[in-house]
Amino acid sequence: MSDQDQASRFLSDMAASTEKLVKATQLIGQTKDEDVTIGTTPKHLVMRRDKVELFRYEPTTEATATTPVLLAYGLIGRYTMADLQPDRSLVRALLSKGLDLWLIDWGQPGRTERWLTIDDYVDDYIDAAVDRICKETGHDRVTLLGICEGGVFTTCYAALHPEKVKNLVLTITPIDFHADTKGTAAHHGFLNIWTRSLDPEDIDKLVDTYGALPGEFMSSVFSMMTPMRSLTKYNVDLIDVVDDEAKFMNFLRMEKWLADRPDHPGEAAKQWLKDLYQDNRLVRHSTTDNTDAVNTNTDAVNTNTEPITV
Amino acid sequence: MGDKSEPTPASASPTAQWAEMWQTFAESSKQMADAWSGSMGPFMLGRLMEKPAGFTAGNEMSEAIEKMAQGPRLADVWDIDRKMALVFGAWMEMRQKLSVYNAVTSAPWNEASKRFVDAMSAMASEGKPVPNWREAFAKWSEISNEELIRNQRTDSFLQAQKELLQAGLKLRNRQDDVAEAASAMFGLPSRKDFDDVTRQLTELRREVRALSRRANAKKQ
Repeated sequence: MSDQDQASRFLSDMAASTEKLVKATQLIGQTKDEDVTIGTTPKHLVMRRDKVELFRYEPTTEATATTPVLLAYGLIGRYTMADLQPDRSLVRALLSKGLDLWLIDWGQPGRTERWLTIDDYVDDYIDAAVDRICKETGHDRVTLLGICEGGVFTTCYAALHPEKVKNLVLTITPIDFHADTKGTAAHHGFLNIWTRSLDPEDIDKLVDTYGALPGEFMSSVFSMMTPMRSLTKYNVDLIDVVDDEAKFMNFLRMEKWLADRPDHPGEAAKQWLKDLYQDNRLVRHSTTDNTDAVNTNTDAVNTNTEPITV
Repeated sequence: MGDKSEPTPASASPTAQWAEMWQTFAESSKQMADAWSGSMGPFMLGRLMEKPAGFTAGNEMSEAIEKMAQGPRLADVWDIDRKMALVFGAWMEMRQKLSVYNAVTSAPWNEASKRFVDAMSAMASEGKPVPNWREAFAKWSEISNEELIRNQRTDSFLQAQKELLQAGLKLRNRQDDVAEAASAMFGLPSRKDFDDVTRQLTELRREVRALSRRANAKKQ
């Protein structure tokens, strides 16, 4: 290809890309926030405890399983990731299998929740939710579905209250927070490395200063996990989706979910970062309070994995 | 003595008293600020001329301010100025840590550029067709991503980001100290007061719920 041809192709490529960027800007300008909906699967409120709410999803098909399933997301990000849009929804997929699905939504914690600990989330909020589900359904046990940090909470709950848990299902849940030190891929475990690089006093000071682990701060740390993706999503990525309405709306829904990142309650954040990320106490068996029992019983959770029965 | 202690009609009103106090405070603060900038201005200007990048190497300027502001506390004067000086010192320290952080985070881009040029040269020498800009960008993105991720795991990056975080928190804490002083001046509750209340509320709630659980257990 001659230099002139190359220059001509470059100019026409750039013109086409610029045109798409202009189109993307216009589309964003024409789209209202209320048009970008996430977490829309119908559900109704059953119980409210402080800012925490327990919902029950409306069934979409005939029941095939009787044991109620409680979905618990983490405090970093919100449950709406599990129900991003109708064709990308774990919630809808579970409902379509005939499960009786419940959701615990932590709401929007702020400085008011500064003093809440993981113990409060496990032994108070989850316990109250499980009791209420049992009362409503007549069952004496539930299936727990924990996602991310919610998986750690539900693991702790199953260890502390095995008599109330029929099954425990975990997804993207860290248990061994030092697993990255055992030779994983170069792009894995950045959060672990980053957290361990801090002094415990830094974490205390961060939480004490803001009264929480700020959601925006965690967003910036997460964006470092995929550095180029974070730099190109508002230009190159937009060019790629602008001609496809479904992809464009999916992009905006993902952005909406990313923007909805509540502050993490302060004392629970200290436990999460120091006790788990730094000290790996779920594995190391060296902690205090209720987590002693958690440590002992996590072994039982880990080793007594039986086929799930519903 | 007796005459002086008697309130004048104007200052008998709390609003007027407050206004008078505020005016006195503002005047004394301005005088102190003038005196401070008068004595420090030429020094700061001189340092800026020497190091136009902004007090980076050794961060002597912020250390000097720190020493000055950490001096003995006087009961009735200089407190707000001391707090403001500490904010300024922390701001300068944060700027210095930011410069270090920026230097560390710029390193992988140079390496990525070298690798990208090498990759493009290799394609040309192998007689492969010239990629369009999207293909070239994809290659650039892939290489840059690898270099950025590699850099984020180095001790120098982790240390720089930690020190930047520490400096940022120090600045924020000192700004909060000024805000707390202003809240106290206007009789407003501070964030520390709010934290005290929420702590008591949380502890009280735990006690009530524990009692409730015990009562329910007894009933059963």
